[in-house]
Amino acid sequence: MKLKDGIKETNVVVKSGADMILPFALVFGLYVILFGTVSPGGGFQGGVMVASACLLLYLGYGYKATANMINREVLEVNEALGAIIYVLLAACGLFMGARFCQNVFTDIGKVGDLISAGTVTFMSFAVGYKVLTGVGFLLLLMLYLLGDDDEEEEVEEE
Amino acid sequence: MIIVNYIASVVLIALGFYVIVSKKHLIKIVIGMSIVDYGINLFIVSTGFNEGGTAPIYKMSEFFRGSYFVDPVPQALTLTSIVIGACVDAMALSLVIKLYKQYHTADSDEIRRLRG
Amino acid sequence: MMSYIHFPVIAMMTLFLGAFLTVVFGRKSQAVRVFLALLSSGIAFCLICALIKPVLIDGEVISYWMGNWSPVEGYAIGIGYEVDALGLFFALITVFTVLLSCVYSIRYMERDSSLDFYYVLFLMLSGSVLGLVLTGDVFNMFIMIEIMTFTSVGLAAFRNNRAGSVEAGFKYLVIGSLGSSMTLFGVAILYGNCHTLNMAQLSSILAGKLTPSTVMAFALMFTGLAVKSYIVPFHTPAADAYTTAPASISMVFSGMVNKAGVYGMIRLTYMIFRAMDKSSVQLLMVIFGVITMFVGVTMALAQHDFKRLLAFHSISQIGYVITAAGLGSALGLTAGLFHAMNHTLFKGLLFLCAGAVFYATGTTNLDRLGGLSKKMPKTTICFLIGAFSISGLPPFNGFASKWLVYQAVYEKAVTSGNIFYAFATVAAVVVSVMTLASFIKVTQAVFFGQLPAALEDTREVPALMRLPMWIMSCLCVLTGVFYDQVSKWLLMPAANATLNVSDYIDKMMGEGYAAGAGVVNIPAFAPRFSFWNPVLWLLLFVIVLAAFCLAIIGSKGDRAQISAAPEDAVDGKYATFFSGEKSLPSHVSGSDLFWGFKKNWKGYFKVMDDIHSGRVNDYALYVVAAAALVTVFMFGFVR
Repeated sequence: MKLKDGIKETNVVVKSGADMILPFALVFGLYVILFGTVSPGGGFQGGVMVASACLLLYLGYGYKATANMINREVLEVNEALGAIIYVLLAACGLFMGARFCQNVFTDIGKVGDLISAGTVTFMSFAVGYKVLTGVGFLLLLMLYLLGDDDEEEEVEEE
Repeated sequence: MIIVNYIASVVLIALGFYVIVSKKHLIKIVIGMSIVDYGINLFIVSTGFNEGGTAPIYKMSEFFRGSYFVDPVPQALTLTSIVIGACVDAMALSLVIKLYKQYHTADSDEIRRLRG
Repeated sequence: MMSYIHFPVIAMMTLFLGAFLTVVFGRKSQAVRVFLALLSSGIAFCLICALIKPVLIDGEVISYWMGNWSPVEGYAIGIGYEVDALGLFFALITVFTVLLSCVYSIRYMERDSSLDFYYVLFLMLSGSVLGLVLTGDVFNMFIMIEIMTFTSVGLAAFRNNRAGSVEAGFKYLVIGSLGSSMTLFGVAILYGNCHTLNMAQLSSILAGKLTPSTVMAFALMFTGLAVKSYIVPFHTPAADAYTTAPASISMVFSGMVNKAGVYGMIRLTYMIFRAMDKSSVQLLMVIFGVITMFVGVTMALAQHDFKRLLAFHSISQIGYVITAAGLGSALGLTAGLFHAMNHTLFKGLLFLCAGAVFYATGTTNLDRLGGLSKKMPKTTICFLIGAFSISGLPPFNGFASKWLVYQAVYEKAVTSGNIFYAFATVAAVVVSVMTLASFIKVTQAVFFGQLPAALEDTREVPALMRLPMWIMSCLCVLTGVFYDQVSKWLLMPAANATLNVSDYIDKMMGEGYAAGAGVVNIPAFAPRFSFWNPVLWLLLFVIVLAAFCLAIIGSKGDRAQISAAPEDAVDGKYATFFSGEKSLPSHVSGSDLFWGFKKNWKGYFKVMDDIHSGRVNDYALYVVAAAALVTVFMFGFVR
């Protein structure tokens, strides 16, 4: 499982391919997250598409450049923030006197608008944010683990 | 109900079980686990099919008793199951990387320190 | 404040919220992590205890639809949470175990690094098990099983600098994932048949109408949940994972995660399918239970590692619970639930003592421990209480629940006339004797005997680690002595709630639904304990203990001082003297006390050793083969 050193300097074709596709991936993924309640898609699907930006950067520029651009610690904290926002939105039902996860924002917007489905819209945003940071963190972690397998692991015996 | 889907999903699940039981390389075992998950996902989404039904997206004005649509609940179950399958793959592959670094082999015959 | 119907969901969500907050705030400071963990576990404990009065005492069933999506025209369309006495019984066990483990791990885990991962995984494990026992929806139960599996894998492989941890985690993941996949397949078949995922509605549709596809679903879900309860032949990852996990997590595994699988099996057979009145299903569960009991305890006799031995005993005791719960009678179910609760108490205590030994000495290898009662006397007392409880000695709680199990199996043998149940009674008693033998061996090997020179400077563990051990020891004694109070307030409501599903169904789906589906009520049941007076037994025990102590103190003058073994001793464990010339010590170490038994049964132990080969392919083969056998049995015999 040793990576050759040559993979860090990719050729022009791969680099420019990644450059061109990256904005489309980001924008289209964001569109799928935001319009999740009106058209097919939603939190998870859009989140994975946006997180594929990490992979595109790695393919085009190598691991060192990707690690400089995206900080793993920030991604980890933001993933938990997305989860906390989801739980707090679900608990909005409790604060307003109804059941947990109940749809309490029912009179915002008309059918077909961006923000129209009540609590579910905001929950979908929170899920999308969590998935994009979470999957991105996962991809970066695996690339980091594969990157330095020059060091050996020492295991304590009993 | 589509017979081909059901037969294909059962074949996939059986193949996945066979791969987990008989292959020695750890990454092949992980792929076997994924094949079992994909077979089950195919099965779940096929249970919701109604012949000739439309997609279950309606405005309240168009929705009346007798409108014929495909069941949306198995689609939600399948989505959840796909996410879980992705997470199982990620976790299993991370463990395989760690095991390779510790044991310097990815053969399940060698990774047997806990036995008996 | 808000009414108590919100409490189950708030308790579960508090644990998950605590886990997420620990990721955000707890990366650097241990004080923040400990504070968040204690706060979440404490809040969950208080909320679940506040539910005791409505559910257990007044007999009410709390039904809660998420998002207030109530059933429409008799069809359930939302996710429902339903708390009846059975669910609250297991939820109480869960939150109690979580709180004690949290207190224990404050000092126990202080030498490990990356503790933020530990607390996050621990809180998510607790939240998922709590969600599992409180939910009323079959797919939600599957999701909670998956969260439980992932976090358990992470915790089993936590100490990845010790030998075998990551390997145990990987095997746990493969076998656990096989089990969850089979459960999901069963749920999908059930949905295709009944078009509902709610347990109450499934219970009213499925009973008595077993088509071939629902029998297949039953077989798959039965096997999937059996993988989660670690009965033989699905027990192999449990033995590895309990060994390598930190001791506070092993206590949670054997006290909470095991019980979640048992809870799932009881819900499946007693309530969703209502198949426990068929003698074929009873026979299947009792066969599994008897094999588990026997294999667990015989494998435990051959172990050299302290925690692996305790893991095999845990598997064996779950065999008792499955045997008792599989009998189908009200007495059997009560016995099974009582033994499940007692198992959490005494097995948790034993694992905490093993953790204390590891914290003090740094090893769990029986060949290298010995004579620790001089250095750690309080741990020794707690361990002895746990060992007497698990062996079933009066007046501890193990005796009360095991006696009830023997009584239930014997009554079943008499009323049904099947010779197999008589054999099961004999097996239960024999396994109990072998458990006692195994614990004599462990006590001798670890706490009595000669202290090796390497362990000369071990000290007693800190007070914060001793506190959960003392709490559990006191509860072991109290639940043994006041067993009738325990039975009246905890066990009878739980057993009655399991056997009378009409209340459960009515509360979820609306009044009169159960009667329309043909569900019949069974009158309330009170278990008859055999006549024995626990207070007299306690008095006898105290008198014998006092006499023993007097004998030791009185003879202290003329007993030679036993010092630590000299550095150049060849074997280091010459304290065990068997027979023959006194000047020629025997080369048998304290952990090999039953060498004669092992030599006589050499063929059996060799076969067992080959079966537990350590290869993940073999373990997966046992799971798939057992699933195939269960499916064939159900298609053949369950009508």
